[in-house]
Amino acid sequence: MRVLVTGANGFLGRQIVKQLLERGYSIRALIRPTTSEPAEWRDKVEIFRADLRVHADLVSAFEGIDAVIHTAAGTSGGEDSQFASSVIATERFLDAMVRSSVKRLIHVSSLVVYDWSRAKRAMDESTPLESDIYVMGPYAIAKVWQERVVSRYAAAHHWDLTIMRPGFIWGPQHAAIAGMGRKFGRIYLLFGPMTRLPLSHVVNCADCIVAAVECPRAIGESFNVVDGDDIRVWRYAREYAKRTSQGGFFLPIPYRLGLGIAKLASMTSKAFFGKKGRLPSLLASRRFESQFKPVRFSNQKLKEILKWNPPLDFESCLDSTYSDRK
Amino acid sequence: MKKLKGVIIGCGAIAREHLTALADLNNVEVVALCDLSAARAEATSERFGIGKYYTSYQTLLNEVHPDLVHITTPPSSHFPIANACLSAGLNVICEKPITVEYNDFCILRDLAAKNQNMLMENQQLRFHSSVLRIRDLISTGELGEVVDVQIFVAVHGAAGSSYADRNAPHFSLSLRGGMIGDFLPHIAYLMHIFVGPVSDLRTVWSKRIVDSPLPADEFRAIVIGAHATGDVTFSGNAQPGGFWLKVIGTRMQAEANLFELPRLTFRRFRAGEPAVMSLIDGIVESKDALKGTVASFLKKLGGVGSYDGMTEMMARTYRAIEMKEPQPISLEEIDEVARLVDCFTRPEYKL
Repeated sequence: MRVLVTGANGFLGRQIVKQLLERGYSIRALIRPTTSEPAEWRDKVEIFRADLRVHADLVSAFEGIDAVIHTAAGTSGGEDSQFASSVIATERFLDAMVRSSVKRLIHVSSLVVYDWSRAKRAMDESTPLESDIYVMGPYAIAKVWQERVVSRYAAAHHWDLTIMRPGFIWGPQHAAIAGMGRKFGRIYLLFGPMTRLPLSHVVNCADCIVAAVECPRAIGESFNVVDGDDIRVWRYAREYAKRTSQGGFFLPIPYRLGLGIAKLASMTSKAFFGKKGRLPSLLASRRFESQFKPVRFSNQKLKEILKWNPPLDFESCLDSTYSDRK
Repeated sequence: MKKLKGVIIGCGAIAREHLTALADLNNVEVVALCDLSAARAEATSERFGIGKYYTSYQTLLNEVHPDLVHITTPPSSHFPIANACLSAGLNVICEKPITVEYNDFCILRDLAAKNQNMLMENQQLRFHSSVLRIRDLISTGELGEVVDVQIFVAVHGAAGSSYADRNAPHFSLSLRGGMIGDFLPHIAYLMHIFVGPVSDLRTVWSKRIVDSPLPADEFRAIVIGAHATGDVTFSGNAQPGGFWLKVIGTRMQAEANLFELPRLTFRRFRAGEPAVMSLIDGIVESKDALKGTVASFLKKLGGVGSYDGMTEMMARTYRAIEMKEPQPISLEEIDEVARLVDCFTRPEYKL
């Protein structure tokens, strides 16, 4: 089986390529023109250099391909930049896929596409998707629209689509996650220190995505990709501070207090500036909720359909993440 | 009251600024927009509650008959779109620069004049509250006669900026001067406002980061105007970023950062004991800076951003259409600005 991986040189993409190689897949890695090719890919991975935002001939990327794993997305920059990197790039990529014979598509989305304000005690695949998207940040807007575009193309062209929605993907060099709060100088503000984190270690996440490629029952399904929900903000932040040797103080702030301040700021902004008002993400109540809301997360559907269990437990994930610091 | 109809062609970042400004005008309704990306067109229409969206501007022009077309695409596409609009007898407001080449502008200018249509360039900094205030000080005589105008622009153009993205080349690379060319219209019309028609100039273009894809990342110019001199410094390397305008008069100096909202400071001639006057100067300047900083912060929270002047520009443009008055910036002045931009990039003016 030959798999095309977009965003192949990204944090998650590289791990997916690694695991596909270990399982004997033939791989075409789509990477940006100026990106350097990882040494471990030499003679093992076919490289297709293209920037999805502008590359003229994307159709040839699909020649001889059986399945596509689409991880390419913008993760930084303003709204326009992230929309171009995630949505317009995907639109152009899928326009090319329409002109190919490829039908199998695994799209890597995110938990940010859900309407967190409507998640009650637990968030699972039945939680409604975000509908008031323009109150959210650039990343959420782009990911919601990216998933919309993918779903529409798949429906129109009868593709075999699986959507994977990871939580906070973490691992080596990427241990600082938004859910653990913010660091101001030497102070870590932990919003809801006992909140459970939807963690997805990069090794586990890639393993789960490769499992979806191999599972016919995954076709037409969406999955929330989390290792579990046992780890809470306090523990994660403590491990992070300890293992990165960063000094500082933890200042726990109850979730409801933080949300109350954010709601007050949002109401004030709306009263004075209407819809035009712009607030930092910590003071925009809907954005605050999507980062820190204390709900439970389930990977039950992954277990039932993909028969998947995370290969690494939390201790092994910590060792894998911080091994270069020992 | 019947509203004037506007349409937007091109739904990138600058289109959002047009739409935000137009939302403040109660005599205007944006009835349709267009973008090559269907997703971006739909997202923009959803966000701003606009009824129709298209992926072809020709189809839009065939189906909708607007009072004004906003062209907010990258510069290399301005000419064919503006040409199609003016040929169809439509009024146009185009993002700066109207055209990549001055000769193309001349074709549009003549077409607009022949058809008696509006051809406007977005020169929103002309209506920035700080610029309007400085112009007031000049017209009331408080600033005295303008002696010199200094413009200093610092924009991050090094590796990591969108201007230097080698994977998806920035649209400004289609302009002579690249990233700097994208800012030259702002510099040119501000110079024209304060120093008058330009009789001579000299420029220095250089590249501090040699392996950058930009044709240049540093630019200097000296301008001789009818009323005063001007000098320009553009740096793609200096930090922090900003767009500073300093107008030096015979009685007063006024300085503003046009990327900020009304952050304007003054230095006046004061008769009296120099040490005491210096202390008073410092206190007054600090007060002005603090007042401007707080006002700027509040305006940012209010979503105004660095596009102060856009709403005023749009309001005057639509008012001119409604009242059948001359366009708020005359074609002759837009022509002079376009010629100055052209001169900034011509080799014969390089030192």
